[in-house]
Parts: sequence; structure tokens; C-alpha cells
Amino acid sequence: MSGTLAVYQKEMATYFRSPIAYYVVAVFLLGSGYFFLYNVFLTGETAMAGTFQNMGILLVTLAPLISMRLLAAEYSGGTAELLLTLPLTPGQIVMGKFLGALTILLLITVGTMVDLIPLYLFGTPETTTILAGYIGFVLLGAACLAVGQLFSTLTHNQIVAALLAAAVLLGFWLVGHLQTFQSSPTLRGFVGYLSLSLHFTDFIQGLVRSEGVVFYLVISAIALSLSAGYLRWRR
Amino acid sequence: MTASPLIALESVSKRYGSRTIIHELSFTVARGEIVGFLGPNGAGKTTTMRMIAGYTAASEGRVLVAGRDMATDHVDAARLIGYLPERPPLYDALDVRAYLRFVAKVKGIRRPAIAAEIERVAAACRLEQVLGDEIFKLSKGYRQRLGLAQALLGAPEVLLLDEPTAGLDPGQIQETREVIRRFGAEHAVLLSTHILAEVTLICRRVAIINGGRLLAIDSPAGLQRAVEATNQVALRVAAEPAALRAALLAVEGVRAVAIREEGGLLEVECQVDAEDGVEAAIARAVAGRFALHRLERREPTLENVFLRYVQAEPARGAAA
Repeated sequence: MSGTLAVYQKEMATYFRSPIAYYVVAVFLLGSGYFFLYNVFLTGETAMAGTFQNMGILLVTLAPLISMRLLAAEYSGGTAELLLTLPLTPGQIVMGKFLGALTILLLITVGTMVDLIPLYLFGTPETTTILAGYIGFVLLGAACLAVGQLFSTLTHNQIVAALLAAAVLLGFWLVGHLQTFQSSPTLRGFVGYLSLSLHFTDFIQGLVRSEGVVFYLVISAIALSLSAGYLRWRR
Repeated sequence: MTASPLIALESVSKRYGSRTIIHELSFTVARGEIVGFLGPNGAGKTTTMRMIAGYTAASEGRVLVAGRDMATDHVDAARLIGYLPERPPLYDALDVRAYLRFVAKVKGIRRPAIAAEIERVAAACRLEQVLGDEIFKLSKGYRQRLGLAQALLGAPEVLLLDEPTAGLDPGQIQETREVIRRFGAEHAVLLSTHILAEVTLICRRVAIINGGRLLAIDSPAGLQRAVEATNQVALRVAAEPAALRAALLAVEGVRAVAIREEGGLLEVECQVDAEDGVEAAIARAVAGRFALHRLERREPTLENVFLRYVQAEPARGAAA
């Protein structure tokens, strides 16, 4: 646990000394703020559903920028030789780094809550629906970061890690659209289950279903386990 | 040497795909010993250091650190190892103190003792002036010393140093060697280098590696003899061989003479002492009596030293 904590603290110290973290947080908050204003003024409804949907797409494309440096920068900077020879298990390294990235995601999440102020001042939004949306947003973000971290573990090049992660995440975001082309109910269900966006839609609508929660947690757990397994294997 | 060495390599091989980088390497380092690991670039020094540090695993054989098998107990063994890789592993975004604090925490140094431990290694490596500086601002010499400082944190039983004096100026090299010498008095130190003088000055034994194979384990004195044996003066002379040989052997500092004929002239290689002026004495002895076409002093090189070990002592590696 102390090893995970030390890696986490190091990650937090290095994150905000890099312009990437500031860039991602700023772009996300500007983007989500724009979508919020657009959706609220367009629909005239005091709801976050449209904004959450746009935030999801933004997250899928920007999360790889947060995760791309996690291991790739260690390889290219020569510090992997330190990290992997210190008394740390691959699991501690992976978790410490993941928790660091997750903290950035939580900061972004808190930042978007500024949008709620006018919503509550000038309307009566459904708190439980908004809460469910935020739970879905954090779970989706955790899964995206874990997948991004996996690609960062596999390559020395941060840009390659970000591009591969973004491609895979967008694929899983859009895979739900294939339901339209499936006549078999089994295939429709399967494609729908794999979709990052369809599960997220449930949360946006205020449905915190165990199926969705488990889906995102399993994706995160598989990606993190593969990252740790790869670090073990590469020795 | 004690009965249980702190570092033990038992027939260790390393393969990448079908290419074998390290061939059945075996040697030990005991407590209180500084062993030099000498070889040219690409000899396999860094790969061997990485296997001992646990960065990469051996394909065959066993690497033991304080009795712990690096294949199965490398996390546990890592607590006993200080490792300075060839390229100092530094986080440029951190300041020096934050970096050392991170390494100290991971090494399991207790929180109240961390500040004192950082002060200790900073003093040993002369880093006091830059403790608050960001690492990306440090000069190459400071970066190298910071790499050494993180390896010294927690006074590990085993210290692995891959080219520790690279990038340092002569004064810093002296200081670093003194730090290593003091540390090596009570710990096991394996020091990789391609600088002959480094190992002869501070090491008790020298492991000589080339092409992934251990050529020999020798004393610094033995290495010094091998170095001196590679001091040569080469000549191209028109002369009668017996008379030339007699004239050359009469020169003080000439230990052996090899003569062969080539294109009507004699190609001569003289084994000479390391002292300056031998070539001038040879020139005086030859020029007055024979037609001297060429004379050159050949300085000892690592390659020549290795060749000498390969040619003269091919079986010694096995005994290590």
C-alpha cells in the first residue's frame, strides 16, 4: 500500500508540472461549458442529459491524453529502469499511476459542477438524475483511463499510446450503432453490451444499473490487470 | 571472501529471441568487496547489471542477491539493492529533494528518518547546493551524482553502478571514487566501466567480459600486467634480423621482440615498459645502424587487453 501511495504522490507531483494536464483540464472544461450553454439555451430545459452525452464523447477523446504518459514516458525517459528495480510490484506501479490519472479525472468532474450553479439558481433539475450522470461519467472515465494506461504500458511512444487508445475507445463508443444492422437478438444484445455509450446513456437517464457499473469496473480491471501482467512479462 | 556472497551469478544466460547476449556467466561478489566489471561497449555489462538489479530476468541460470533468487523474490531483493543505471533515471519535473524523497519512501525508509537520510546522501554526493533545484536544470555532473545518491539511499547491501563516473570532471571523479571506496568497505559493490584506470584504482577484483562471455576474473595487479604487456613499439626497418633483435633487446625497457619479414623489410613489434622515452631509446639504437622506415608507439587499449586475456588465459573464466 505504501508503494502505491508513493507512486501516486510522485504522479501527482509530476502531472501538474507538465503542460498536458493543464491543457486537458482546460479543454475539457471549456468544451463541457460550451455544450452546457448550447444544450440549455437550445432546449430551454434545466437538465444535464445533452451535456453529459457531449461530455462522454469529449472524455473518450481526451482521456488518452491524460493516460498516454503513464508508462510510455517512464520508458522513453529511462526512469522505468528505476521504477521497475525499486521494491514495487507491477500491481503497485499500475495502481499508483491509475489513481493519479483518476484524480485528474475527479478534478475535471468537480470543475464541470460549476455548470450546476445556474441550473439550480434558475430551475429545478432532478438531483438524482444528475448524480447518476456523474457516477456514469466517473465510471466511464475510469474505464477510458485504464484502457489508455494499457496502451501506454505497451509502447515507448506517448503519441502512439494516445492514438491507439483513442481509436479503441472510439470504436467501443460507436460499436452500439451496429445494433441497427443486426437481425439476431443475441448479436444485438452483445453489441449493445460492448458499447461504452449505451451504458453511459442509462446513467444519463438516471438509471444506475448494476449491469453498467459492473461493465465499466470489469473493463477497468481487465485493462489494469493486463498492464500489470505486461510489466511482469517484459522482465 | 565469505561463504555466502551478496551477489552470485550461476551459469546465467540471456537471450533475446534467437540471439544470446550473455553466455553462462558465473561470478560472485562478497560483502566488503568492490568488483570491477570491465568490458567494451556492447560486451554485455549493462544487460548483466539489469539482470542483477531485477530489471530483466535471466533466460537460464540463477541470479542471487543476498541469497534471494531474482527470478522469484526480486521485489524483496530490491530492498537490498541500490542501482545506478547507465543513464541516471531522473524525473526532470521533480526537484532534487522530492525525487530523493520518492525513492526513499519506496525503499521503505521510515518517514521520520527520510530527511536525515536525504541529507546524508546529499552530503556524500555533494548535492547540498542543489537540493531545492528542479532536476531538468541540473548539469550532467549533478545528474550523475543524483543518480548515485538515489542508489545510496537506505545504505543497501548491494550497490550496482553502471558507468558511475561518466560525465564527471576529474575532481568529481575522484570524489565519486572515494564515496564508492568508503561504501564498498562494508557492502558489496559491482562497478561496471570501460575505463581501465577506474578498476585498477578502486576494485579488489576485476571481472572481464567481452561478447557476453566472462574472459577472466583477475586482480587489479593482474590486469595491470596485462595492460603493460600491451605497451608496444612497432618498427619497419631494413636490417639483418639477428643483429636487429640483439640491438633492440639491448635497449633498456624492451622486454620482448617479435620480427617478421614483409615486402623485403622487417616488421618488428617490441613489448616495452610503460615508461616514457622507450621509443626514443629504440630510435637511437636503430637509426644509427639500420635503415629505419617507420616507428610508432602503440598505447594499451581495452581491445588489446581483452585479446591478451583471450589468447593467454582462455580457461581462467571457467575457474571464476
